[in-house]
Amino acid sequence: MIKITELEKIYRTEEVETIALNKLSIEVKDGEFVAVMGPSGCGKSTLLNILGLLDDPDKGSFIFNQIEVADFNERRRADLRKHNIGFVFQSFNLIDELTVFENVELPLIYTGVKSADRKKRVEEVLDKVQIMHRRNHYPQQLSGGQQQRVAVARAVVNKPKLILADEPTGNLDSHNGNDVMQLLTELNEQGTTIVMVTHSEHDAGYSHRIIRMLDGQTVTENILV
Amino acid sequence: MFKNHFKIAWRNLLKDRMSSVINIGGLAVGMAVALLIGFWIYDEVNFNKSFKNYDRIAQLMQHQTANGNISTFNGMPLPLGKELQTNYGNNFKYVVMTSWAGDGIITAGEKNLSKRGIFMDEDGPRMFSLKMIEGSYDALKYPNTIIISSSMAKAFFGNDDPINKPMKIGHKLDVKVTGVYEDIPLNTEFAGLEYIAPWSLYLTSEKWIKQSEAAWDNNSFQIYVQIADHTAFDAVDRNIMHSKNIHDAPEDKKYNAQVFLNPMRDWHLRTHFENGIRTGGPIEYVRLFSIIGIFVLLLACINFMNLSTARSEKRAKEVGIRKSIGSLRGQLVMQFYVESLLIVMVAFALSLVLAQLILPWFNDVASKKMIIPWNNPFFWIAGLGFSFITGIIAGSYPALYLSSFQPIKVLKGTFKVGRLAAIPRKILVVMQFSISLALIIGTIVVYNQIQFSKNRPIGYNRNGLMMIRMKTPDFYGKFGLLENELKNSGAVEQMAESHSPLTNVYSSNNGFSWPGQNPSLDEDFETIWVTHDFGKTISWQLKEGRDFSKEFTSDSSAIIINESAVKYMGLKDPVGTIVKWGTDANAKNYKIIGVVKDLLMESPYDAVKQTIYFMDYDNVNWIILKLNPNKSAKQSISQVESVFKKYIPSVPFDYEFADREFASKFAAEERIGKLSTFFAGLAIFISCLGLFGLASFVAEQRTKEIGVRKVLGASLFNLWRLLSKDFLLLVMISLLIAVPLSYYFMNNWLLHYNYRTNISWWVFGISGVGVILITLLTVSFQALKAAVANPVKSLRSE
Ligand SMILES: Nc1ncnc2c1ncn2[C@@H]1O[C@H](COP(=O)(O)OP(=O)(O)O)[C@@H](O)[C@H]1O
Ligand SMILES: [Mg+2]
Repeated sequence: MIKITELEKIYRTEEVETIALNKLSIEVKDGEFVAVMGPSGCGKSTLLNILGLLDDPDKGSFIFNQIEVADFNERRRADLRKHNIGFVFQSFNLIDELTVFENVELPLIYTGVKSADRKKRVEEVLDKVQIMHRRNHYPQQLSGGQQQRVAVARAVVNKPKLILADEPTGNLDSHNGNDVMQLLTELNEQGTTIVMVTHSEHDAGYSHRIIRMLDGQTVTENILV
Repeated sequence: MFKNHFKIAWRNLLKDRMSSVINIGGLAVGMAVALLIGFWIYDEVNFNKSFKNYDRIAQLMQHQTANGNISTFNGMPLPLGKELQTNYGNNFKYVVMTSWAGDGIITAGEKNLSKRGIFMDEDGPRMFSLKMIEGSYDALKYPNTIIISSSMAKAFFGNDDPINKPMKIGHKLDVKVTGVYEDIPLNTEFAGLEYIAPWSLYLTSEKWIKQSEAAWDNNSFQIYVQIADHTAFDAVDRNIMHSKNIHDAPEDKKYNAQVFLNPMRDWHLRTHFENGIRTGGPIEYVRLFSIIGIFVLLLACINFMNLSTARSEKRAKEVGIRKSIGSLRGQLVMQFYVESLLIVMVAFALSLVLAQLILPWFNDVASKKMIIPWNNPFFWIAGLGFSFITGIIAGSYPALYLSSFQPIKVLKGTFKVGRLAAIPRKILVVMQFSISLALIIGTIVVYNQIQFSKNRPIGYNRNGLMMIRMKTPDFYGKFGLLENELKNSGAVEQMAESHSPLTNVYSSNNGFSWPGQNPSLDEDFETIWVTHDFGKTISWQLKEGRDFSKEFTSDSSAIIINESAVKYMGLKDPVGTIVKWGTDANAKNYKIIGVVKDLLMESPYDAVKQTIYFMDYDNVNWIILKLNPNKSAKQSISQVESVFKKYIPSVPFDYEFADREFASKFAAEERIGKLSTFFAGLAIFISCLGLFGLASFVAEQRTKEIGVRKVLGASLFNLWRLLSKDFLLLVMISLLIAVPLSYYFMNNWLLHYNYRTNISWWVFGISGVGVILITLLTVSFQALKAAVANPVKSLRSE
């Protein structure tokens, strides 16, 4: 599904130049569940953003579903993204002004799904993440774990092939964290490819393979399954 | 402590430059407008106040009733002056008869200049407290004297002593300079009055004046009074009310003339009477502009408050930190006040600069000579006081609201400025746009009315019509010579003489009767005496009958009337009807030989009155010339000038053009139009500035949300719509408020005019669409800026 080769990403500010990704090469197969680990600042989020087509690399190749996307423009990336990729963030990033239902519904609106369909699909995923009873609440009224479950629901409502999760349990206690990990595992078992950044060895244990990074490069890979 | 507050305030100002510029700029513009309007109002309400006896001086006016309608005017019969002095003397300190101020030809030595002057009773200079530079208040004691303004003295005599120098008024009256007065200030009734000659001289100057000495029905004079020290205007009013009526001839008693005092304080601003009741006048514009000034300032203050609070919400975290390290609430309150005051003071300084820059233009539009009263302590007290209050009010919300935050909440990030916090802001935005929209709609209506009246059919051809007033007897008997030579030169196509110019009617009369007349019809007719070629010169349009003709000697008793007269008189078949003028033995019969389309000669906003044109070569004051349309006007004018100089060398050549004179009738409305354009423009500018600031604030506040939505697949259009929608909604609400409001007010304004346009829906359409477009433009800039930003950045801030 994903194959990146010699990928480079450099951040230039007025004074310094940070090499966030340094000739990084990774491959992720369809249906895999990959964990990315490494110290803070080693480029994990940068990698995820590029995989998620939110950012473009400076050099190297990025093949997504057999297509070279490294040189895609903003518009094509956005198009590819909204149909294929779901995101889960550490800080949930739910929209405060919208209810649970409306938050989850949003990606469907943007991909142009009809209102009746939307209702059905949102309810389906809310059911799946067991948050249906809170559908009319606002994010502030939910616990962290519940919020993250909503975020996961939102990430999967469009049935993406790939889910990118950046420290999804980072703001959660272990109990709630496990719930979310359980959810991701289930999704993976149903065929969704997952790339997850985490600091927790325990969470990484849910994955098939751990990629360890340092200074924008892979150091080792542990295959768990 | 204060220094520290100030330092931090200054840094905050510099840190958030964009919003500082918007904040200070908007406020400064609003303040500058308020200043200008303030100066204007100050000037208006202080009109005439430079006369020392301002509170005691009045002009006599009278109400007369005809056809159940009361009309009010300031013309007075000559004998009333003496009557007031002898039989009502204890009411008055001075009673001063005057002529109407007008241009006269003044000659001294070789010099020959047209100057504005008046004839006045000898007490005039004393009553009006003129500042005598030379001579005394008794300078007009003897008939053949004149007092002149210092600039007129300079014009005639340079640095020589003018006292006792001989002069001639209108090539006829010999006088000697006995006094020089300081030029009368511009913002007074008598501004530009260059000479004053004695009443006693006026009485002997013309036969008709002498004949009016016992004529109670000739209201051709003015009377100014200063009331006695111990009394009051209303008391005097009661005493003199019937002073004229009791002397009126029995047949004039039905007009029920009532004399009253028009106090000086009302001369300028409360000039309108409707059916005998004072209904205002320019005071309405003073009120209107006060309201506009307050509104524009309010708009600017609203911006300031909106942006300050919006900005302060961003600082919730700072407040939390400050509190947690021990800042007292009072100190925080102080900090916000200092910041707000700093901004206001900078804005005030800037507004003074702006006002100074705009003032010349503003003076021009308002035809005033206002200056910024830099040396006036009250000005500074008012200006700084106002700024201080604005600063306190605008600073109050952030100061009191923000400083009350609980630090833990703010720091833990659970603090959210609630949805409700935005509501006052939204109300304020709606207010702003309602005001701006109302101003825009008002402006369009004013211009519509001007345009509508300008396009009104006038019944004659106004192009190339030159009008020359016969100011002195030197003109008399020269018409034939002038006509001959001017026509031969090819400069003039046609010319005639008339009693009135084409843009005014000098005379109205009653006492006409005709067969089948409804006896209750006793309104005045406009009466105009013209010579044979008048109609041909101005190309009037005959509807029935014929024009005056030299072939009929009987035309000396022929009249032509206009369509309004036909309607007023109720004539079925006007041509041939005999109209009798007068009742006694002197009554004369006139035969209607023609009917012309209404000629618009007076106010373009009023209906044309019933008018009678007589054919008469003696009763004429103006020469009307139709310039040759095939020649350049410039060339023709100089040819006309040289011919006039040749035959009438002693009178300076002076002329007017009918079209230009007519255009000047719109001056007041055009001034209103220009000013309201200016204010409406500024109002919308200030509102947009605020909107711009607010949009940027909202966009910033929602960066994260925008980022999330983008990640979820929102397109640029989705995001633009998201951010613009709310503002657009506010503008729509404003439209709903502004439309009925402005419709109501502008409809009322239009009611002042008898000939008026109506407000059509497109006025609202255009204003609405215009404002919506401007709003979208303003907001879109911020919306798009936020929408194109890379979401990665906004999501990173965790
Ligand atoms: N927008 C940016 N501008 C400048 N430097 C950045 C930016 N984003 C990330 N970096 C830098 O790139 C490096 C990698 O960052 P990131 O991918 O966020 O690390 P991680 O997620 O592994 O903690 C860091 O040194 C970080 O400071
Ligand atoms: Mg990271």
